[in-house]
Amino acid sequence: MMQAVILAAGEGSRLRPLTRSKPKAMIPVANRPIIEYVIDALLENGIRDIVVVVGYRKEHVIRYLNKLDAPVQVVVQERQLGTADALRAAESEITDDFLVLPGDNYINAESIARIKKERNAMLVAEHPSPSNFGVVVIRNGLVREVIEKPEDAPTFTVSTGICSFTPDIFPYLLTNEIPDALSAMIASGRRIRAIPADDWQDAIYPWDLLKLNSRMLRGITPEIGGKVDASVIRRGVVRIGAGTTVGPNTVIYGPVTIGRDCNIGANTVIMPDSSIGDRVVLEPFTYVADSIIMDDVTVGSHSRIVSAVFGQGCILADHTTTYPSASFMEVGDRVLKEEFGAVLGDGVRAAPFTTFKNCIVGNGVTIEEGKTLVGLIEDGARVI
Amino acid sequence: MCGIVGYVGRREATPVLIQGLKRLEYRGYDSFGIATVGSALEVYKKAGRISDGEAGAASLRGSTGIGHTRWATHGEPNDINAHPHMDCEGKIAVVHNGVIENYSELKRQLQERGHIFRSETDTEVIVHLVEEHYDGDLLAAVNATLPSLQGSYAILAIVEDTQQIVAARDASPLVLGIGDSEVFAASDMTPLLEYTERVIYLEDGDIADITPDRLDIFHGGQRVERPIELISWCVEDTRKGGFAHYMLKEIFEQPQSFYETIRAGVDDNVRQMIMDADEITLVACGTSYHTTLIFKYLAESLCNISVRTEMGSEFKYFVPPLHGLVIAVTQSGETADTIAALKMAKTRNCPTLAITNVQGSTVTRVADRTLLMRAGPEIGVAATKSYTAQLAALMQIINLRCDGAFNDVLSHAHLAIGDVLLYDVRDAVALCSKADHAFFVGRGAFYPVAMEGALKMKEISYVHAEGYAAGELKHGPFALLTPETPVVAICTPGPTYSVMASNIKEMKARRAPVIALGVDGDKELAEIVDIFIPIPNTHLLVQVLTASVVLQLLAYHTACALQRDVDKPRNLAKSVTVE
Repeated sequence: MMQAVILAAGEGSRLRPLTRSKPKAMIPVANRPIIEYVIDALLENGIRDIVVVVGYRKEHVIRYLNKLDAPVQVVVQERQLGTADALRAAESEITDDFLVLPGDNYINAESIARIKKERNAMLVAEHPSPSNFGVVVIRNGLVREVIEKPEDAPTFTVSTGICSFTPDIFPYLLTNEIPDALSAMIASGRRIRAIPADDWQDAIYPWDLLKLNSRMLRGITPEIGGKVDASVIRRGVVRIGAGTTVGPNTVIYGPVTIGRDCNIGANTVIMPDSSIGDRVVLEPFTYVADSIIMDDVTVGSHSRIVSAVFGQGCILADHTTTYPSASFMEVGDRVLKEEFGAVLGDGVRAAPFTTFKNCIVGNGVTIEEGKTLVGLIEDGARVI
Repeated sequence: MCGIVGYVGRREATPVLIQGLKRLEYRGYDSFGIATVGSALEVYKKAGRISDGEAGAASLRGSTGIGHTRWATHGEPNDINAHPHMDCEGKIAVVHNGVIENYSELKRQLQERGHIFRSETDTEVIVHLVEEHYDGDLLAAVNATLPSLQGSYAILAIVEDTQQIVAARDASPLVLGIGDSEVFAASDMTPLLEYTERVIYLEDGDIADITPDRLDIFHGGQRVERPIELISWCVEDTRKGGFAHYMLKEIFEQPQSFYETIRAGVDDNVRQMIMDADEITLVACGTSYHTTLIFKYLAESLCNISVRTEMGSEFKYFVPPLHGLVIAVTQSGETADTIAALKMAKTRNCPTLAITNVQGSTVTRVADRTLLMRAGPEIGVAATKSYTAQLAALMQIINLRCDGAFNDVLSHAHLAIGDVLLYDVRDAVALCSKADHAFFVGRGAFYPVAMEGALKMKEISYVHAEGYAAGELKHGPFALLTPETPVVAICTPGPTYSVMASNIKEMKARRAPVIALGVDGDKELAEIVDIFIPIPNTHLLVQVLTASVVLQLLAYHTACALQRDVDKPRNLAKSVTVE
């Protein structure tokens, strides 16, 4: 029986400030944590023996996994040293050939079907910016070399992190990273096949979540729970959770998903590619498009939310605007330029008439009335 | 405060019983035993944890059986005193939860008539009485036995050669689960969840005759129908998943259980009852008593109503003059002292309200109305999520009396609870785990919060802790302060802030290490104490919750650091069903 090990212990620090209370694998995309797509792809392929390695904010991951219909094993990686160390944590649960998958990338069932037939193989994909990944050099369909995050990438082929192994990989896990073990296996003459993935998506930076979100929203099925006023206009695929009320004259153009127990005020407009979590309040006359709004967020009336990611529990007063534009921003040790409206961490509070313009706001930031924010704002700051 | 299970059907009974007893272990765990009817009546019983002794039970055969997990009340925990108990000839076996108050008299009479007693328990008189009345009809024999018993009981009895259980209850809980050609019986619904969602709650005085295909319930000699109810809890809720302990799992479930209790709201009858009250008396025990004290402080200051709180165990014997609404607060709905107090209040014609976590439990049938908290099953012996859910229910009462002034505060409170779950209390744990004694102090509503923090510390980490009103420390306990006695102080903005800060300075002057819980960004406080734990700067109602959760985490991690058995602390059981 094929087994699978999902690595969900790492924080995903390039997605900060969104990873304060949960690891990257638990970030909701189209209202489902990324790891859920990975588990689904495995189950579709009949792989039911699943081990999940947890670490960073593990209680939240475990609580979530317990609620799934499919039973999964949980093992804890005490310190987040690297992927190979995480795999070692799962060693006692491994009895057969197995797949290793990152829990924080999207993968479809077809890709899994391609690799599950192979022993010792790696799923690879083409990516326009390969230097964020492990770049794979392939010769005759076999992996020759994996170069981790190079400055100048020799090809556009990158590793998806998904590999199939036999249990005898464990002696090769000498360092804390799996690519080192691959190099050691190649050096000792083992053959590792490179298999192209069918569909694989990763979100490296917070704004990448918007693209992933719009991609995942293509897969949702329509469902209307809760109370939707008769005058509401819906087009396209719309999903509304139980306990949610949608007020009169609201317009929703799918694909849009809305969670449970939300309160969507009268006369709001929700445009395509928007995901709205649980217990969200959108006050009347608010416009939302191409955004991820996580649980427990309140957005005041007359707001315009475009290309934005709001972390959980943000409370934004009326006339809040997110204004998509592109400016240079220093994230980690890189300087990047990307067009988006705003990324807000958890628990941001903004007074009326706040404008976010291509801006990343840390967790728990408080903003006074009428400010226009650009660039990076640290956790816990007060904008006066 | 023991747990009992029974099974009649087509499966092998032993694994069903063992699994069921494990789910009931929170009710008591100093010894256990099972009896099955196959080709003969077989009994296995053992002192100690079920997981240590279950292998010995595996050889028992038969598809009818009863089991028991014990928390000793009469006779010390050993193999002989463990249930099931048998009659002189080994043909009848009985398990019992409760206390037989006239057992010594019955025992003397039975011994005079030649019965041989093996154990020191009160339960053994039941099986010998059944033996006396038995002439081939177990139901008739149990029926004839019950009138001579005084006290509380839930009994399951089996006899050799018959696929039948006779069940009876009076003042102790018993639930029947109805399956497909099989019937389960248990002290509460947790063991039933994996097999069926259809249950029958027996009433006091009911006797049930259970066979695989038939279930007859009698009350006062008449056959009666009891409604079948559907239970909404699912078995996943009672599993530990990947968490190290149930307690940790339950601590992390608090944002959800708090939110769900708030969202469930209050039905109109209960609302009317609350609005009509001109005075409120609350009755509770243990952790629930602390929540009622918090309610007293908050309700008296925020909605100007006079509130009295009473301990269930005292109330019954020293009844105060009563008028106004009486509210009983009990997680399990089975706490004997609280229920006895509630019955007393009913005899005084007071309107009664129960706040409980268990739908269909005894208290819901005694009280006029019920306000259900939505904590889901709580397995860890130390109350955590039921405590915050009780506060949610009580805060809703406050909110009602204030015409919804706290709607916003309560609907966002779960976020603040979620926030403090992320805190790292390692430094404070290092201090507490080295200490033999600790003090928890606070003022106003934070005084009962401190008491609850101290209770948690005592019950799971066995560090001796005392909860005090900060001003009272000077009147005696100051003599105990040493550099090895940490003081946990809750000091948040408000009328008591400055006097609390000077209390802390006094303690520091005695060189006691101080761990302070204050609001985020309180630099002055952070400077005078040894360890500062920030809680979100929010409304008073929310600060009460967040401070409580921090103290739960402190107790939990201290217990882990000291390698205690967090989910099964020594000498304790979850719901105390004896007085």
